[in-house]
Amino acid sequence: MTDPEENESPHSSLASGEVGLVAPRDFVCASPFTFKSGQTLPGFTLRYETYGSLNATRDNAVLICHALSGDHHCAGVHAADDRKPGWWNNLIGPGKAVDTNRFFVVCANVLGGCVGSSGPSSVNPATGQPYGISFPFVTILDMVRSQKLLLDHLGVASVHAVIGGSMGGMTALLFAIEFPAFTRLVLAMATTSRESAQAIAFNEVGRQAIMQDPDWNHGDYPKGGGPRVGLAIARMMAHITYVSDASMDRKFGRRKKNPANGEAYNFDVQFEVESYLRHQGQAFINRFDANSYLYITRALDQFDLAHAYGSLEAAFAPVQAECLVVGFTSDWLFPPEQNRQIALALLRAGKSASYAELSTDLGHDSFLLESEELYALVRAFLERHESAAVDFSI
Amino acid sequence: MSKLVEKRTVDMEVIGEWVDPASRVLDLGCGRGALLHYLVQTKEAAAVGVDLDFKRITACVGRGLSAYQGDMTGFMKQFPDRHFDRVICSRTVQELDDPTGVILEALRVGRALTVGFVNHGFWKNRVDALLRGRKVRNDVYTTEWFESSPSNPVTIADFEHFCAAKGITITRRAHLLGDWRTPCPALPNLFAGYALYDLAR
Repeated sequence: MTDPEENESPHSSLASGEVGLVAPRDFVCASPFTFKSGQTLPGFTLRYETYGSLNATRDNAVLICHALSGDHHCAGVHAADDRKPGWWNNLIGPGKAVDTNRFFVVCANVLGGCVGSSGPSSVNPATGQPYGISFPFVTILDMVRSQKLLLDHLGVASVHAVIGGSMGGMTALLFAIEFPAFTRLVLAMATTSRESAQAIAFNEVGRQAIMQDPDWNHGDYPKGGGPRVGLAIARMMAHITYVSDASMDRKFGRRKKNPANGEAYNFDVQFEVESYLRHQGQAFINRFDANSYLYITRALDQFDLAHAYGSLEAAFAPVQAECLVVGFTSDWLFPPEQNRQIALALLRAGKSASYAELSTDLGHDSFLLESEELYALVRAFLERHESAAVDFSI
Repeated sequence: MSKLVEKRTVDMEVIGEWVDPASRVLDLGCGRGALLHYLVQTKEAAAVGVDLDFKRITACVGRGLSAYQGDMTGFMKQFPDRHFDRVICSRTVQELDDPTGVILEALRVGRALTVGFVNHGFWKNRVDALLRGRKVRNDVYTTEWFESSPSNPVTIADFEHFCAAKGITITRRAHLLGDWRTPCPALPNLFAGYALYDLAR
């Protein structure tokens, strides 16, 4: 997904209705963790944030699952003068669609990530060096299982809802499959039950950009070093897949960086869109690890529920959660049809499932959209069993 | 309760009587989910609704229903034969682009199909058309021609003819007078304001 700073409307970070100041914490799991690949770690760390409080029955937790380049900081600010809040701040907060006055919101950086959780940039205690590509291969299932351990650690008896967009949607679906009795509601947006050839292809271009950069050095580079050029190119390319023709045209069109200069017969930045993408690439290399990018895109590519369980219906057979899938008309990375198919398979498997489709022109990142319609849907879903009275309104 | 809402609940009661407890029900054109909600509450139905509108789906989701935003024929094509115990098409048939296609597909995915519609052959509508020479407007069709969705003014006679021509078995009928409450004793195409049919293949 694109950076939260891309949100088009400004915010007042500490106004009422905001989560406000938050601080990340670390969950250190000291027992060995076996990955789906069979590889093990003696333990792992997940960096996470929580907003709101766990109720007496310990069943009001809402787990937020982030996308490829996201992290645990999904709402609030880390300092009073922070320029930007967490990436889903528009959705999460007191009185917002995911209401922190009612729900205990938990969000963790995924296993394999690089924002505080164990991943390839973590130091291998056996060598004193970063793991690099000796870190175990991570799957969406490993992300799910490690986050369940975090919820257990926090004393959560059952989750009210698991919510995520893109990769977070995959995580949410798999959570309901793996922990059916633990999961009451699942809300998956702009996601897929299996990565298409096109999505894998884009990820592969990103990985090649990283691995063809000599500074990648087979994943062996010091912290702060590594394939900066390759990672920036991977991000520039991926960014295009998160938006749309229409939204780029609206934002940049063919506007020139320095219109006064006329036609420039060289390869310096001419168009605003070029400058913007270069900025995106540069900003990304300062906050993301190239090996993590390889690991997480690989986890995305391998995600295929139908293949893993025999069929999509078989995959969903154990699900007890009520599910809501949301597609976005202009999402061409995980198009509406792929979201639709998730809801249809759940219904064929006899599950409670809904599908809603929002008309937007912002592409894949539409799930981060500031939309009253989307907020109303999320709120209706999360609070669906609170009014038991029969209502005959048409 | 307004007159229309009152009529709506009568409609729901008749359909409710035909729905077996705990059966799997699909409502085509479910709107805000009032009928499905009623069937879930009174019959413990496993209910799914289909509608085109995001806000109506939101209302269904808020009511705890399963609802799918999309085209009803496209939706049904994704399900095996007789997946649903009952498909309901209540006050929707007159607005369909392809009523035959939808009804036949509903009879494939459903063991039974309930169709409810306002009888345009009702005497008041005939008098209205004859004397005023204008599009029928009443409690149900409140809009001018230019404000409303395309609508086929289907009558009881038309519908019975359609079922016979397609070899569709009519297993139950409910013809209600203009109050949509009292059973119509005779000449339904003239005296029934509302008709409900239960169909099977």
